[in-house]
Amino acid sequence: MTARFSTVTQLLAAGVMAASLAPMAQAETTVESCNRSVTFDAPPQRAISNDVNLTEMMLALGLADRMVGYTGISGWKTLDPVMRAGVAELPELSAKYPSKEVLIGADADFFFAGWNYGMKVGGEVTPETLAPFDIKVYELTESCIHIGEKAKVSMDDMYNDLLNLGRIFAVEDTAKALVAGYKDELAAFAKDRAEASDPLRVFVYDSGEDTPFTAGKYAMPTALIEAAGGSNIMDDLEKSWATVTWEAVVERNPEVIVIVNYGSVTAEEKRAFMRSNPAFAEIDAVKNDRFVTLEYVEATPGPRNIRAIKTLATSFDAARTDAVSN
Amino acid sequence: MPTAHAHPASEPRLSARARRRLRGRLAWILGGAVLTALTLSIAVSVGAVGIPLTSVWGIVAHKLTHGSALAADGVFDVSWSKGQAAIVWDIRFPRALLAMMVGAGLAMVGASLQAVTRNPLADPHLLGISAGGAFGAILALLHTGLFLGLLTVPLLAFVGALAATALVLAVSRFAEATTADRLVLVGVAVSFVVMAGANVLIFLGDPRATHTVVFWMLGGLGLAQWSHLAYPLVVLVLCGGWLWSRSGDLNAMTVGDETATTLGIPVARFRLMTFCVGALITGVMVAFSGMIGFVGLIVPHVARLIVGGDHRRVLPVSALFGGLFLVAADIAARTLMAPEDMPIGLVTGLVGGVFFIWLLRRR
Repeated sequence: MTARFSTVTQLLAAGVMAASLAPMAQAETTVESCNRSVTFDAPPQRAISNDVNLTEMMLALGLADRMVGYTGISGWKTLDPVMRAGVAELPELSAKYPSKEVLIGADADFFFAGWNYGMKVGGEVTPETLAPFDIKVYELTESCIHIGEKAKVSMDDMYNDLLNLGRIFAVEDTAKALVAGYKDELAAFAKDRAEASDPLRVFVYDSGEDTPFTAGKYAMPTALIEAAGGSNIMDDLEKSWATVTWEAVVERNPEVIVIVNYGSVTAEEKRAFMRSNPAFAEIDAVKNDRFVTLEYVEATPGPRNIRAIKTLATSFDAARTDAVSN
Repeated sequence: MPTAHAHPASEPRLSARARRRLRGRLAWILGGAVLTALTLSIAVSVGAVGIPLTSVWGIVAHKLTHGSALAADGVFDVSWSKGQAAIVWDIRFPRALLAMMVGAGLAMVGASLQAVTRNPLADPHLLGISAGGAFGAILALLHTGLFLGLLTVPLLAFVGALAATALVLAVSRFAEATTADRLVLVGVAVSFVVMAGANVLIFLGDPRATHTVVFWMLGGLGLAQWSHLAYPLVVLVLCGGWLWSRSGDLNAMTVGDETATTLGIPVARFRLMTFCVGALITGVMVAFSGMIGFVGLIVPHVARLIVGGDHRRVLPVSALFGGLFLVAADIAARTLMAPEDMPIGLVTGLVGGVFFIWLLRRR
């Protein structure tokens, strides 16, 4: 009974929305997605997003009612209460990377994903394989490096995704306001901070013990670290995420280590590993116990990048104060 | 007496041969030591980060004499940073020693398995030992977390390797396969099953963490730490020593089960013993180095090409060549793509395979 009632309201709501959007829908919208131009005759009505960070971008733009579900979260991560509330009405169509069938079966008309965020190069689900089924794909800007050339990562990558989604879904004003709000928030936060001198040397430790997996030039943490007044010691690595040698880490002697938290090995265990190995004893960050933890959602492109920058900035400032008082 | 006749003639001839053998052995030991020292020096000198040679040797000398009168007298002009000292002493040195031991261990296991199975393609991976190790490591990395602390991954890798060996033994009993070739078949079958299981674990795991798995599938020596080196050393000395002490039996096994039985060797039991000892060595090596292919398979053949088929010589020479080869391969793995580490399995396969083809053509 309730189910039928809610279906009816959804239909009604969709109808009202379609009517109100009708004049705008006349105009075609074309956005750049990685190396493609994607044209939308009308805003998608049955969208699916993959992974926590991408889904959160959709939620931030208030697009939950244009979605039929989300994919790729509970298989290896958990939704926090805020996000759980945001997508409460929506089903998780696939706990991990979706198959083509899952997307087609949900009668989707739009898939927001990225390379290594729900799609794999040469995989089953790509813009090309979905095209025959009229499912349009918008790709996460940060992930474009996996299929072609791209400028170094910056906060603009994230803003760009929000603005493009705004155009695709005809909520451009909301998107612009959101991005302007984020920029203001960061500017206000920066004004309260002491004048920073040289950027701090920062190492991003994702995982791995034999060799560390870290963020290179094209991965979001590099942008976050720079926005917070540091520099990623591996920003000369022409990669998104990659493994490097411990030698290089010791040589570049980071002052702060950022641990990315997700998966079965906890941030505390990663920190314990760094502290236990005598080879790392002389690294400034280890000596002074300067570790910061960023959650997966914070370290990948999405609205929580703003909070991540503040977290990083706070710990950078503490590290600087320490250095001065020592 | 005929013996009296023979005596004056044979005495000097024998002692001349004995002297020659002694000289040959001395040459091998001396040459091996020099080569080892040379390879180790190169290994600690080069890497992703360039450190001047004088600093490298200063650091090593300083560490070796640490706390002694020499160091206290300030004989060494400390011209290096603490980071450089950590790189040379805590990263490169234990890593080179681990490479040495892993290479030596895997080559000895390969040599003895090839003897008892009379199969030139037998190697430490054949019996599912390495696959079991990878399975255990992947389970810890992608699914269980480090519930036993920092040694969780090597520990699970070791347990996995032993479990896979137990599985091979159980299946061979179940299938009543105690002959050499049937045991090999059981090993191959178990290896495939365990590998399939490991791939299921990878498939179910977080794709963003699966890069750590490459290490266990293709091998690497990045886990080397001074505090861990005792495990491979002890197992190499004890198990490797046992294998060497049974060189005569291994020689007999290469001729055939019947001949070996005639010589009083309990063939089936000896074969199983060799498997278990090999599994112990491989299990410990895999726990710290991942699956490093090729060394255990090819190095014994190189050794045999050079010193003949006697395991009294094949085993130590295999150990020497295996160790040297792996240190050299690790140098390549660390420097070719710096600051990224190449999985060493790629280097051993590529470089070693080509080298072996060249060697085959030359002989």
